[in-house]
Amino acid sequence: MKIRVKLFGTLPQRYPGYDPSQGLEVEIPDGAKVKDLLARLEIFASDGGLVAVDNLVVQHDDALKEGVSVRIFQHMFGG
Amino acid sequence: MQFIRVNMSEQTVKVEDVPQDYVGLGGRGLTSIMINNEVPSRCDPLGSENKLIFAPGLLSGTSLVNTSRISIGAKSPLTGTIKESNAGGTVAAALGKLGITAIIVDGLAPQGKLFNLIIDQNGNAALQAADDFKGMRTYALVERLLQDHGEKNGVLCIGPAGEYQLASASIQTSDVDGRPCRAAGRGGLGAVMGAKGIKAIVISQQGKSPDAIADPESFKESAKVFAKAVKNHPFSGQMLGALGTAGLVSAVNSIGAFPSYNATKGVFEGWEKISGEALAETIQKRGGQTTHLGCSQCIIRCSNVFVDKGGKYVTASLEYETIWSMGGMPGIDDLDVIARLDFLCDDIGIDTMNTGVAIGVAMDAGYKEFGDGPAAIEMMEEIAKGTEIGKVIGNGPAAVGKHFNHHRVPVVKGQSIAAYDPRGMQGNGVTYATSPMGADHTAGNLVGAYLGGVLNPLEAEGQVKASREAQIAMASLDCTGLCMLAGVALKAPNGSEALLKMINAKLGTQLNAGDIPALGIRVLKAELEFNRNAGFTNKDDRLAKFFYEEPLPPHNKVFVVTDEDLDSIFDFE
Repeated sequence: MKIRVKLFGTLPQRYPGYDPSQGLEVEIPDGAKVKDLLARLEIFASDGGLVAVDNLVVQHDDALKEGVSVRIFQHMFGG
Repeated sequence: MQFIRVNMSEQTVKVEDVPQDYVGLGGRGLTSIMINNEVPSRCDPLGSENKLIFAPGLLSGTSLVNTSRISIGAKSPLTGTIKESNAGGTVAAALGKLGITAIIVDGLAPQGKLFNLIIDQNGNAALQAADDFKGMRTYALVERLLQDHGEKNGVLCIGPAGEYQLASASIQTSDVDGRPCRAAGRGGLGAVMGAKGIKAIVISQQGKSPDAIADPESFKESAKVFAKAVKNHPFSGQMLGALGTAGLVSAVNSIGAFPSYNATKGVFEGWEKISGEALAETIQKRGGQTTHLGCSQCIIRCSNVFVDKGGKYVTASLEYETIWSMGGMPGIDDLDVIARLDFLCDDIGIDTMNTGVAIGVAMDAGYKEFGDGPAAIEMMEEIAKGTEIGKVIGNGPAAVGKHFNHHRVPVVKGQSIAAYDPRGMQGNGVTYATSPMGADHTAGNLVGAYLGGVLNPLEAEGQVKASREAQIAMASLDCTGLCMLAGVALKAPNGSEALLKMINAKLGTQLNAGDIPALGIRVLKAELEFNRNAGFTNKDDRLAKFFYEEPLPPHNKVFVVTDEDLDSIFDFE
């Protein structure tokens, strides 16, 4: 299935030519989980990556659905 | 370890050794405990009995990184509660290097008279008549003061808003570049400084008499460990240097908790135009500085220098809370307008948050249209001129709501909320409601727990406990002079231990790990006692009513934590 992913923080820098308005289209197996998507994008725990879908933070074991819009951030603690 | 006590009624300055009762206290611990001991709780905040206290942290002036945070305390004219307003810049480190534990100002200067307090490199302090400086905005003021006294000085000062004694007036502090762009913004303490008749405090950065450190070797070793933990954490070591705190714009909008259009929506349509990513790109293209040393001894460098299309300086530093208050709340999606509003706040000497929210409330009440940038700039100029509407805006959102008979006023105890809606982040609502300071995100911000997925932001469960722990931790941290952003180092395996070792090494004490939260609880107890004696009860620990009644899109939740749970938060025993 195809997932539209937008990246934030310092993550976009890893993808030369990344277009913030379009994000990335990523193909992952049906039923793939959040952690599978992170692994596919090579975003590791040390990057502080977190994922939001439909205005909620989702867990690494949550399944993704075709067509959802995913945002991936880095962990922040307030300012 | 010295106090400088300044009486403005008599214009006297006395230097004394720190009395035994206050030894071992710094920052917020010192300001709050001293105010509770020495200020009549029911006094007029703008009267002679109130005291304005400037206290660097316990570790300010040492070699430890990120320790130039100053606590400024008084009874607040905005909230009527005790207040500690915390600012970065250069002055805390400068005071620490002079061995000055606090400056305590009481009394009132004769009406219409203004003075500057000058502290030289030997710690000698003197008042100088400052009638010539009357009405000056802070950028011009600080430029002249640094010309007169030398560049190697830090400055605390007020602008016109402080002189007018407006309830949102800030005390501005100078950064490493000598610009008055850091603020003790919250609580209207600039009005207290204006009432006292002090325009500026100029502090030498060349002091060479810091307090002796009892165990210098142990301190040095732990300071290295702590600095390494700050550098190694992805948030403080990478994210903040790249995007500053503005990185939160994307994150908080993406979980639907960014109060917009005067807290009627949780996602701002134009957020991608004002995000940290957009800010960094704009600054980079124009040749500004996306990362910048703003505060003494900072290794995080969350600051930036925003420039206009021609590359000319506009403001430093444009950060998350201001992008929200001057962007999301009035519905302005133009970084150039937001940057101009930020500069005007610093120059006029007024809190960006309380003022942006006041503008948002005025727009919501129909005074101007949401999104009207020129109208927002005009409102700022009205504040500077001291016109009637300017004074209404400058007295904050509660004054604006009263003026326009408008019900949607996002405040607690008269102070505006910050950039986290309590319906989208319930625990931040608990902190706003129960903090002894009025709505104040720095008293106990849970955004990290929500973004990390360890606490559900939309349910009541767990919020009071999380807020309590955060408020205790912040009350402790605010005693040290450490920047809260460097506080993430405490999450590293050896971070907390290093901090404890440094406190013991400095003071020659044998404190254990439990004594750190105990200090935070002691500080909170003093603050709560002051407020109770001033007439506050649990019934004041509530959010504005509309937060309980008007659901916030996109989650369409109201604030659901019960009054009973709120009232249990500080049952310490």
